[in-house]
Amino acid sequence: MLQPVSESHAVGETQLAAYRFMLRARLLDDKFAALYRAGKIHGGVFLGRGQEALSAAIGVHLNKSDVFAPLIRDAAGRLAFGEPIIDAVRTYLGSALGPMRGRDGNVHRGRPTEGYLPMISHLGAMVSVVNGVLFARRMKGISGIVGVACLGEGATSTGAFHESLNQAAVEKLPLVLVVANNQFAYSTPTSSQFACPDLANKAIGYGVESHSVDATDFSACMETVGAAIARARAGHGPQLVVATLLRLCGHGEHDDASYIAPEQKNSKLGRDCLKVAEDFLLKKEFADAAQIAVWRSEAIREIEEAVAQAQREPAPDPYEEKWSALSSEHLNELREET
Amino acid sequence: MPQISIIMPQLGESIAEAAIINFLVKPGDHVEGGQDLIEVETNKATMTVTAPCGGRIESFCAQLNESYAVGDVLGKIEATKEEAARFGLDLPTPAKSCDTDTEVISKKSRNATGSRVEPTVRGLPVPANASGASYMSPRLKARMHELGLSAADLAGIAGSGAAGRVTVEDFEKFMAHLDKQKLTRASSMRVAVADAMRRSWTRPLATVGLPVQIDAVLLHRKTCEPKPGPALYALRALAVALAENSAVAGRLVGTNIVHPSAIDVGFAVEAEDGVLVPVLRGADKKPLKELVIRYNELVELARQRKLPADATGGSVATVTNFGTFGLIWATPIPLPEQTLVLGLGAGRKMPHWDEAKGQFVPVMEAYLTLSFDHRVLDGGAAGRLLLRISDLMRQPEKL
Amino acid sequence: MAGDAGDLGVGCWMLDVGCFPFIPHMSITYLEAIREAQAHALRDDPRVFIYGQDVGAFGGAFKATKNLQKEFPGRVLDAPISEDAMIGLAVGTAIEGMRPIIEMQFADFSTVAFNQIVNQASTLFWRTNVPCPITVRLPFGGTSGSGPFHSQCLEAIYAHYPGLVVLTPATVEDAYSMLLSAVAIDDPVIFCEHKFLYYHLKAEKLPSEALPIGKARIAREGRDLTIVTYSAMVHEALAAADELATEGWQVEVVDLRSIKPLDTDTVVASVARTGRLLCVGEAWPWGGVTAEVIARVSAESYGLLDAPPQRLNAKDTPVPYHPNLWAAHRPTARSVAAAARKLIRF
Repeated sequence: MLQPVSESHAVGETQLAAYRFMLRARLLDDKFAALYRAGKIHGGVFLGRGQEALSAAIGVHLNKSDVFAPLIRDAAGRLAFGEPIIDAVRTYLGSALGPMRGRDGNVHRGRPTEGYLPMISHLGAMVSVVNGVLFARRMKGISGIVGVACLGEGATSTGAFHESLNQAAVEKLPLVLVVANNQFAYSTPTSSQFACPDLANKAIGYGVESHSVDATDFSACMETVGAAIARARAGHGPQLVVATLLRLCGHGEHDDASYIAPEQKNSKLGRDCLKVAEDFLLKKEFADAAQIAVWRSEAIREIEEAVAQAQREPAPDPYEEKWSALSSEHLNELREET
Repeated sequence: MPQISIIMPQLGESIAEAAIINFLVKPGDHVEGGQDLIEVETNKATMTVTAPCGGRIESFCAQLNESYAVGDVLGKIEATKEEAARFGLDLPTPAKSCDTDTEVISKKSRNATGSRVEPTVRGLPVPANASGASYMSPRLKARMHELGLSAADLAGIAGSGAAGRVTVEDFEKFMAHLDKQKLTRASSMRVAVADAMRRSWTRPLATVGLPVQIDAVLLHRKTCEPKPGPALYALRALAVALAENSAVAGRLVGTNIVHPSAIDVGFAVEAEDGVLVPVLRGADKKPLKELVIRYNELVELARQRKLPADATGGSVATVTNFGTFGLIWATPIPLPEQTLVLGLGAGRKMPHWDEAKGQFVPVMEAYLTLSFDHRVLDGGAAGRLLLRISDLMRQPEKL
Repeated sequence: MAGDAGDLGVGCWMLDVGCFPFIPHMSITYLEAIREAQAHALRDDPRVFIYGQDVGAFGGAFKATKNLQKEFPGRVLDAPISEDAMIGLAVGTAIEGMRPIIEMQFADFSTVAFNQIVNQASTLFWRTNVPCPITVRLPFGGTSGSGPFHSQCLEAIYAHYPGLVVLTPATVEDAYSMLLSAVAIDDPVIFCEHKFLYYHLKAEKLPSEALPIGKARIAREGRDLTIVTYSAMVHEALAAADELATEGWQVEVVDLRSIKPLDTDTVVASVARTGRLLCVGEAWPWGGVTAEVIARVSAESYGLLDAPPQRLNAKDTPVPYHPNLWAAHRPTARSVAAAARKLIRF
């Protein structure tokens, strides 16, 4: 089950914890990329390389009683929210024992009754679902909680984004929308995605508060995301966080991202937030190189074990399947064409 | 009272005209709305034109076997205003009237206004070539299968459905009616023969006949021991003739004539409610006196229904001697897998003109009839075969 | 709780009713029955709430929620014009165990929420084993002058997707009992209420028992022809049957009640009696409910048919505005009778 980091840790402890989630996420992503190239994964592989700081910052500031709807590149946030590595590995490898039991795969995973919502592919669609969870809890008299929905800058073009943010604003829900503007939606650059000079300006249109952050800057992420979540939790209504970075991988591992110009990769925007975080921790003497090396090898071993385990597990059996999508068994139409 | 036009309806996509094949009512008749009036035929189906409303048939201007376009006026019905309104016909129709010029009543004419004809076809089409008693709906097929019946059994049932088809209701009425009449169980032999004859009849069969003088045969018979039956003479003659030209006993399969590989000839033996056909194998290769014993054996076995399996089947022609029933002439039906059946009638004393003596002289004469599958041979070849058989039978010592 | 009893699929919700709500009217309309059912649900189950445009103080565009906000404060809530977000929110609340009733103002607008209905709501249970007990009420079907965007029948589109239940009550009694069942069902239900029937159909009183969801009803017994239909077309079919009775034909009318699951057994049993099948639907022909019924009967019970199965639907164009055109666009008692006569005479 999910085991998130509690708020009572000192800031340094929290930053260390966040860094460790980033590191594990990066190594996990590397593992998935390797498995993909080895032909061991059905379907696509989608990495979060470059977005770990932003994602981990979200996860470490959430409580078990909060709601989280991560998206494609949130491996770090998922781990920080408490997802065990085996869940991710099982979903990618299609194990029948994973949370989606082979019915969905790769990043489409979650545990809804634990506040961890599994995404559907239609971008923007998860935000109103987070709204609904918050809405229901409020009706039940539960307060002091927050719901985070992650989006890319491309998703801000969808009608669903608009409807959901508007709805959250009208209902004054404690929603935090974290928009990772990584400059590309697949191959589409931001110049073809929106015309406003700064996505954060949209907040004014919806009547909500906004925050902007350089997502390559680890400590800035921790501070900004933490503040936005705190504002929402304190009842100030929806918060729009716009984080800027460069996507450091293809849209999926099938994409070589050759449309990204080298100048961008070599700019400040193209910094690797993991390296930035590492430098930060070393400078602050929150950790030393040896410690980091140990964490790295521990994480690698943990990942290897999870992969080995999942690969031994059974795939779903079509003959054991109850081929029905309704929970009400008696309403199933069992008209099979055999 | 308003006169409502009976118009050729839209019979289906891409159908532009239909031919009148039957008038079901006549002028002066009172009809109901929706009642079938005229049977028409398109290249796809037989359908009916129905009464647009109730009333009296005033006239038909369409003629039998003529084609009319969709939208053409075929006749008029006189109806009350209320009746017309009930069927939505109280609005003026754009259809052309009967008493204008003949332009309307011509082949391939089109509706001059170019408008779509409403309403669409009133009747559901019965598939062409399957109309009448031979069309069976899935339900009727299922029901008949349940009862072990086939399409031939429908022939006696009057159909009340479209194009005269037999509906399930018609069928059940017929079956209920049957129960009221005397029924005897048909033996399995009877059922088997019925099926064989039905299958045989699917081919175009024809018969030719020839009287043959059998005095020589009767004389020859007296000198033999055991005595061969007259039919055996005919059988042996047939075998010899077929050995000379086997094509006439061939089977048509697609575009090939399949020649027989051996001249095995069968002969009909009546056996209790049916006919069995034992076979003399290679009848062309053995002279008559060698065939007699086997022939008599087979007749006895057949009568007792004890024919072994290898003694029947696989013959290329059959001989039937209905003369034993006193019949002088008949048109037998070949077995379904054979092309020929040779029939022998009863011998009679007949006057025969003797040119040399200048008078009639008595001779024993019997008719040979040959029924054949007309797809494989024509009358000429059949006639030549009969002539050859006749010649052979007039020289029985050579058989 | 009413919800648990609903799992049995029988009208067991009635077991929970201690005292039948007293309705002071002599008769009750289809619309009032829907309002009563919602009041009943709100009263009995604190997990139920209603969310839609203008449903609060205004009582809804058709007054289906009139006075309900007053009686149940905080449970009948106005939504912005955001059908997508409305359904997304409903799914979120369902994950938390609530039982939302979403009122779409017109079925025609539900297509804005199509993605959330067919990709979010209908797949949740299959993907995650967490049920999604939402009810989406669609005012559907044509009335004179409503035009292309206030008349659509979308039951076949939703029925196509796995994971949805689609209901089409044709009577006042069914509008009441089936809406209560819809709320009790643990799966997403598309509840199609016919706008024409709202005010035109009346009953003397609400029912105390009901056929289970998934069972069709024989609305009229007959032996010469079977008409399978649903919602407002049931009434057209009954009128056509009356007309044919004067000509000596007894037509059987089957009211499907629920489109998905579809009660093929009752349909097949009727065709076994009559041998002739006419399916009538107000929706468009391509891939409609009528096509589905005929496909099933033809595939599974071919040997029962004494005539080719036929269907009658609206014309394959958007629903027209002008009453002349509208009257010809969809099946009416007259066109149903004409189609039936054709089939009877085959």
